[in-house]
Amino acid sequence: MTGTIDRVGAAAAETSFLLNGRPVTIRVPPIRRLSEALREDLGLTGTKVGCNAGDCGACTVRIDGRQVCACLTPVGQVAGRHVQTVEGLAVEGPAIGGRGGHEARLTRLQASFHRHGAAQCGVCTPGMLMAATDLLERNPAPTRGEVEDALGGVLCRCTGYRKIVDAVMGAAEDGIAFLVPQAGAAVGARVAKTDGIAKLTGEERYGADAMPADALWLRAVRSPHARARFRLGDLAALRRAWPGLAAVLTAADVPVNRYGIYPTGKDQPALADGEVRYRGEAVLALVGDADTIESLTDADIPIEWEPLAPVTFEAARAGGAPVLHADLPDNVLVRGRVVKGAVDDTFAAAAAASVVEVETAFVEHAYIEPEAGWARRVGDRIEIVACTQTPYMDRDEIAHVMGLSREQVRIVPTAVGGGFGGKLDLSVQPLLAVAAWRLGRPVRWTYSRPESMAASTKRHPARIMARACAGSDGRLLGYDFAGDFNTGAYASWGPTVANRVPVHATGPYHVPHVRALTRALHTNDPPAGAFRGFGVPQAAIAHEALMDDLAAKLGMDPLEFRHLNALRAGEPTATGQVLEASCGLAACIAALREPWRAARAAAEAANRAGGAVRRGVGIGCMWYGIGNTSLSNPSSMRVGLRPDGRIVLYNGAVDIGQGSNTIMVQICADALGLPMDAFDLVTGDTDLTEDAGKTSASRQTFVSGNAAERAGRGLRAELLRRLNVGEDAALRLEAGCVHARDAGGERTLRLADLEPDARGDVLSAVGTFDPPTTALDEDGQGVPYATYGFAAQMAEIAVDLELGTVKVTRIVAAHDVGRAVNPIQVEGQIQGGIAQGLGLALMEEYVPGRTENLHDYLIPTFGDVPEIECILVEDREPLGPFGAKGIGEPALVPTAPAILNALHHATGVRITRAPATPDRVLAALRAAGVGVTP
Amino acid sequence: MRAFSYSRAESVADALKGVVGHGETKVVAGGTNLLDLMKADVMRPTRLVDITRLPLNRIEETAEGGLRLGALVTNADTAHDERVRSRYPMLSRAILAGASAQLRNMATNGGNLLQRTRCYYFYDTGTPCNKREPGSGCGAIGGVNRIHAILGASEHCIATHPSDMCVALAALAAEIRVTGPRGERTIPFEAFHRLPGDAPQIDTNLAPDEIVTAIDLPARGFAAHSTYLKVRDRQSYAFALVSVAAALEIEDGKVTAARLALGGVAHKPWRDQAAEEALVGRPADAGSFAVAAEAVLRDARGFGHNDFKIDLARRAILRALQDAAASETP
Repeated sequence: MTGTIDRVGAAAAETSFLLNGRPVTIRVPPIRRLSEALREDLGLTGTKVGCNAGDCGACTVRIDGRQVCACLTPVGQVAGRHVQTVEGLAVEGPAIGGRGGHEARLTRLQASFHRHGAAQCGVCTPGMLMAATDLLERNPAPTRGEVEDALGGVLCRCTGYRKIVDAVMGAAEDGIAFLVPQAGAAVGARVAKTDGIAKLTGEERYGADAMPADALWLRAVRSPHARARFRLGDLAALRRAWPGLAAVLTAADVPVNRYGIYPTGKDQPALADGEVRYRGEAVLALVGDADTIESLTDADIPIEWEPLAPVTFEAARAGGAPVLHADLPDNVLVRGRVVKGAVDDTFAAAAAASVVEVETAFVEHAYIEPEAGWARRVGDRIEIVACTQTPYMDRDEIAHVMGLSREQVRIVPTAVGGGFGGKLDLSVQPLLAVAAWRLGRPVRWTYSRPESMAASTKRHPARIMARACAGSDGRLLGYDFAGDFNTGAYASWGPTVANRVPVHATGPYHVPHVRALTRALHTNDPPAGAFRGFGVPQAAIAHEALMDDLAAKLGMDPLEFRHLNALRAGEPTATGQVLEASCGLAACIAALREPWRAARAAAEAANRAGGAVRRGVGIGCMWYGIGNTSLSNPSSMRVGLRPDGRIVLYNGAVDIGQGSNTIMVQICADALGLPMDAFDLVTGDTDLTEDAGKTSASRQTFVSGNAAERAGRGLRAELLRRLNVGEDAALRLEAGCVHARDAGGERTLRLADLEPDARGDVLSAVGTFDPPTTALDEDGQGVPYATYGFAAQMAEIAVDLELGTVKVTRIVAAHDVGRAVNPIQVEGQIQGGIAQGLGLALMEEYVPGRTENLHDYLIPTFGDVPEIECILVEDREPLGPFGAKGIGEPALVPTAPAILNALHHATGVRITRAPATPDRVLAALRAAGVGVTP
Repeated sequence: MRAFSYSRAESVADALKGVVGHGETKVVAGGTNLLDLMKADVMRPTRLVDITRLPLNRIEETAEGGLRLGALVTNADTAHDERVRSRYPMLSRAILAGASAQLRNMATNGGNLLQRTRCYYFYDTGTPCNKREPGSGCGAIGGVNRIHAILGASEHCIATHPSDMCVALAALAAEIRVTGPRGERTIPFEAFHRLPGDAPQIDTNLAPDEIVTAIDLPARGFAAHSTYLKVRDRQSYAFALVSVAAALEIEDGKVTAARLALGGVAHKPWRDQAAEEALVGRPADAGSFAVAAEAVLRDARGFGHNDFKIDLARRAILRALQDAAASETP
């Protein structure tokens, strides 16, 4: 966490090279990173920076045709060479629509990426394209393995890589034409992303792109200690020694130095005030010119530290540890509780009972785009341009921190290079706002990778004790769950985890008697917050281990045991809610039955031959409530009609790669009865769009999609009224007119005859939807969610009993999504979620201070993610837009349980401490006396 | 501000002039590790000499029937060279088991030899590290040490050498050709890297004013019976928990020559000649391999989190020797 070499050191010198076919000369220090020179000096921000250490490959460019990391290439080394970036890929061929009406050209490879849905957030896409271009030039018809090898140095956190491999393999296919659905046929179509082209050409603007040239730079000084008191030294002397410093901000400079997700949980300072509670907490902000900010190292900053013994998770659980927050004397942030029936009695009477203990680690979101943005003061308003999942909450939080009204805050969300929950909390925003407000100049800040990993929230580590019992008929009787969650130093989304987990603790089964208790405990670890599933993935490891164990004790097949107990419409959940429809778990399980039987038989046959490598097949099931838990979470969408006949969707739902920019248009188009290609999107500005809430809790398709549908239906109703035609009239747009045809003939509305509003729309409609839920009573009884997603996944693995390594060889995933609005994107969500679930099961463990980079913290690469078959079960949700519900989080939840259950099938040993790294697998085998001991 | 000068050498003599008498000078070639370390403020050279344009970028036959790998040939070009692939398949496999395609395109053979440890504490300037700041202590002993050494460590340092390529080079008994103001010399591979002892800040026996010009591979490549096995936490692009380069010559079921080197377990690529000798004359079977594994690990010692590596290394040695014995073609 110190200064970098980019801007300091050697004197500037001229370097000449070919850039995308054109000669360029730049005068910079020859040691400057090529990536920095491309982005800052040459204005080509298509080359992304994810780690500045050669670990992620986002900055991959080609030098003399070969892929290299631009972040590790000194400018001096490219003298006389040819550098190709993503902007230089497509220089010929037909032009198609790009960003903001720009003409864009695509190579066949880029077109194939678009067709296959190979880009989600798109921040790794330039690197992927450059690596693949290198491969295809040398090898036009590569095998899957060759693709995986060649692209293996580029990390992707969204896609699970499968569609990228498909796109590279399919690049030889002709054409760059894409599916354009007819009016009324958008929902359900495999249509390419509405915002996809810009992600392929390098035009898309993420948080660190398009920073103003005159912006000051900001850098935070962060705590190297998990818990410490500190005293600031002579900051005036620091200012004098470094004339390039425009400001040194301390806690005293932040108007209201406490923020947090919940009104009751505003406990996190933008800058620590005398005491730090986790390693990586910001204590000072340095603002100044780039050279100064990059040159200052932590050693230059006068801070006196008094380190204290940190509160560990174990100490917090045991009680009596030092108190982190004075109002929480036992360090318990929140308790969650769902109780139904008389669970203790059921165990006495049960035919079979099982117990499991589960332990999980901190997991890092590892989005490839680090947090970034800039801010400026405009009169008495502050404007923040940054990557975020939740612009409207950011607006309200910044208003709170700055002591301004919300009307004085404008949030302009950029494209987001992955979020997964990690960009639901404030990051760069508050200090940028304070600095820009005070200095009256634009201020910019991009987190380094170690900073992003140290400072941002994590998945909660869990310690779970659970037991379940069933009768001799195989039906579940009782489920008893106690889970502690390490919520770290600050509240963040800890209450969400503590309240969501008890509702989901039993898994997607009908259980008459339930007790599920949780605690979120403060420690001197990084704040644990929102991460794809809000604690449910951890709890799922427990319930799926118990289902396997109970099935074994009852002599039942694990899949059939789950099928028997699957929650069905009409049965009450643990909170007493009765789902009336769209409860498709049994159908998901049934869809796996045939591959399950075949794979189990094949694995068992293979294992009878012995050998060091054993095969296993496991199943995992899940459910997941869509939207906030028993809290209002409305979305609004506006759709307008322009005088020229273009339709504008004012879409405040942030697309973090999952595809809401496409889904919302599909839904609105069909609701309106007009084609998708008549739509333009207005996104990314709280001044221009309606509040569509946050991109979290798998809610955008269901909640904002409903709003988009209602807006579309509202505009349609207005058109039908003005045209005086019936409900079933077919609409058509042509030359600035809306034509309607019904049994009564054809009528026409000339849009230019209507008066445009301030936005320039002649007609518009707003749709709003808030999922119907009720508060939970003190036993957690009530209706926490309007609808749930369901899934069953099956994992096939190979375990090396001698070396402890686990390779996942195939996953079959059956998901009840209500309705697949866009099957390509649903598959993309499933595959990406599976990759993250695989990481949770096998390799991901964040250790504060030790794994703050992408070579010590491992996320799955191409070679780790197996073939994935997606089965889409469409049990329509009557409340959903065209029957749809969410998929984002459901995709991840069942994967780790399925893999760990497969490990048990292969070895007979149950591992419930994730991740199951080779050393833990070997230790478990040894403890159980299982395996080949050479 | 850590200012430094930057110059580009056009010849070896030019490069040596740049290096001589400047203790804080570093040569930069692929740059993949050095720039990373400078960014982290771990290494603070005052002069950088860019040697990428020196004529050390060829792979040539040697008079002894081996291959001379130029110091500036990239790892990728080395691994994919048809002569390397057919005559030294273990080396090709080891290189391809390391890093990523981009990094192998950038990293040079000389740079691979000279890369620094990936110990967390070496990189974290907020913690003690005798390799970074001699005398400051070792954060890994008693700290988080899952990835650390089990062989040849000292009370001052338990870091490991991160290279895959070097493990194969150790097993092949390569020689490092270096040049400096006192002329050219050759360093046997085993003598190139150092154990930490009480001076863990010094990784190699290359003098500060010398540069590596080539790596010589001897004629014997063990093409018929060799392998490189890497055990790691994910399938690709991760450093080894334990890796093994194993090479055998077998006649009538008996081992006539053996090579065995380990990665991820020590401050240097760990070759054990006693274990190799123990295999010679024995049948190429599991029993003999177990004896060799025990010999390699007789003095192994864990530091807590890395205790598992001792057993894992034993298992990996057995597997690698079995695979090598079974392999017939590259």
